[in-house]
Amino acid sequence: MAYHFGGGRSRAAPYAFLVPALFLYVLVSLGPSLATAVYSFTDATGLPNQPINWIGLENYREFLTLGAAAQENWATLFRTFIFCVAVTVIQFSLGLLVAVLLNQKLRGTKFFRTLIFLPVILGVTIQGLIWTLFLYPLGGPMDNLLGLFGVQSEFLGGQPMEAFAWVIVVQIWSNLGMTMVIFLAGLATIPNEVYEAARIDGASRWQVFREVTWPLLTPAVNTNLVLTIVGSLQAWQLFLVLTGYRPGTQVMGYLVYATGFGATSGGTSASLRQGYAAAASIVLFAVVLVIGLTVQYLLRRREARLLG
Amino acid sequence: MSTTTGSEGQALAGAAAAPGRRIDLGRLAAYAFLILIAIAYIGPLLMLVLTAFKTLPEFTKDATSLPASFSLDNFFEAWDKANFPQYLLNTAIYTVASTVIFVVSAVFLAIAIARRFVRGGGTLFTLFLIALFLPAALIPQFQLILALGLYNNPIGYIMLFLVNPIAIVILVNYMRTIPIELDEAAAIEGCGYLRYVLTIVLPLSSPAIATVAVLHAIGVWNELVLATIYLTSADFYPITRGLIVFNGVYGNNWPVLAAAVLMITLPMAVFFVLAQRWIIGGVTAGAVKG
Repeated sequence: MAYHFGGGRSRAAPYAFLVPALFLYVLVSLGPSLATAVYSFTDATGLPNQPINWIGLENYREFLTLGAAAQENWATLFRTFIFCVAVTVIQFSLGLLVAVLLNQKLRGTKFFRTLIFLPVILGVTIQGLIWTLFLYPLGGPMDNLLGLFGVQSEFLGGQPMEAFAWVIVVQIWSNLGMTMVIFLAGLATIPNEVYEAARIDGASRWQVFREVTWPLLTPAVNTNLVLTIVGSLQAWQLFLVLTGYRPGTQVMGYLVYATGFGATSGGTSASLRQGYAAAASIVLFAVVLVIGLTVQYLLRRREARLLG
Repeated sequence: MSTTTGSEGQALAGAAAAPGRRIDLGRLAAYAFLILIAIAYIGPLLMLVLTAFKTLPEFTKDATSLPASFSLDNFFEAWDKANFPQYLLNTAIYTVASTVIFVVSAVFLAIAIARRFVRGGGTLFTLFLIALFLPAALIPQFQLILALGLYNNPIGYIMLFLVNPIAIVILVNYMRTIPIELDEAAAIEGCGYLRYVLTIVLPLSSPAIATVAVLHAIGVWNELVLATIYLTSADFYPITRGLIVFNGVYGNNWPVLAAAVLMITLPMAVFFVLAQRWIIGGVTAGAVKG
């Protein structure tokens, strides 16, 4: 039971004191989030005190079906999906491998862990600028390295698909540490005895991983998959720093930003199509929701099968 | 958090060492792989450091050569031209103000939910749990700030950072583990609610509060997009926006730009190494409970 403080009258105190945090959350975050759906049915612009008209499904019709722009929108949706798959598959596998290796009694474990997690702290601006330098196309380190194998790349200034691929690399480099520490936390919950029992049974390394580590790691696997899938579907900020709004490279999050606020810098303007951008972000939300819920459902079913 | 239990390592090493004293190939491969990964992380950072000490002609001639001398000229030039003192001060103000206000308000919300002091606490908690999946709030948020007349205004900018759903989840989960007997003792002594929160909840939750404060501060410190949308006067720019603008102007002078980036990176790296325990503990909190 909960105790009450200061007698009957102050039963209201907990309500009164939680109001600021709740009010701010609803005002700044939850309310605007939900209101995105409302704005998506309007022709709102980026100017204050302008009349906003209800235009029904017009934004959606335009976004999904109207001419060449709609084709590019579908391409952007597809690109977002590819980005998500590539980032999730590589980041998940690498993160798992690194965590399992670091969970062994190797020297320098702490050093590796600190190093790999560091970019998470630095944020997109520094991540992006560090890699723009590293991918310097005129004799930079990566240019020289690829040159050893006879490969040439114009990196972020190259063909759209090429630039896109490099952003995937930077995205994984930047967030691998997150995946790794979640796996490490999961590995730390598996008791020694389980490994010892497997060893006594004469299990090989691979068998120990397959039969013991992998099933017992299920909670960390689920968390990582959901976080990485949802996160990479919504991710776009590295594109802002690395490539700018280039045709053929942008993903959905960037499309929303660029149509709502302009491709490069902020400002208020009548040319900003915020209603249309709201519709685009609802389309992205639908994609995240469908994929997110499907993954959650599949993971729950797997968990029930594995852990009873 | 102990991540290096070494249990599996012992088990595996034991199994491998048993047949004789041959070299453990698996262990070698593990090191080789980890060193490769480490190079991928050290490489870009090393390039940043080396470039920051070079002159522009040196860099143009050979981007990957070692600097001829370790002169600090680039750092002084970047410090003056990038308007660093102003941007850093702005970032510090945004970070401290939003973190303090957010954390204080969050503690009162979290304890009320954790202890079921309010009706509908469970529903409230769900509102914060689902935040990850909600559509981006960007556009109505912008309209709201415009309507409030807080566009290009530091107060409006700070207001955007007074929420953090994940932090609420971390706080609530932690506060649920505080023994309820202490509540009883406090209630019997006739302790008022405010005093109860300040003298009992606050100190007992300090590890979680520290974690949440650090995570929140890092988020505000690193924010680029909202700074780009909401702040148009250079006087209000935080350091992230300042760096991007500097990149636009000095994009071809990598040595000075690298010095600017390094000056921001280094203190953050030091801070991370010192606060690592809280940061990593925070991001993994509740992540593996299922």
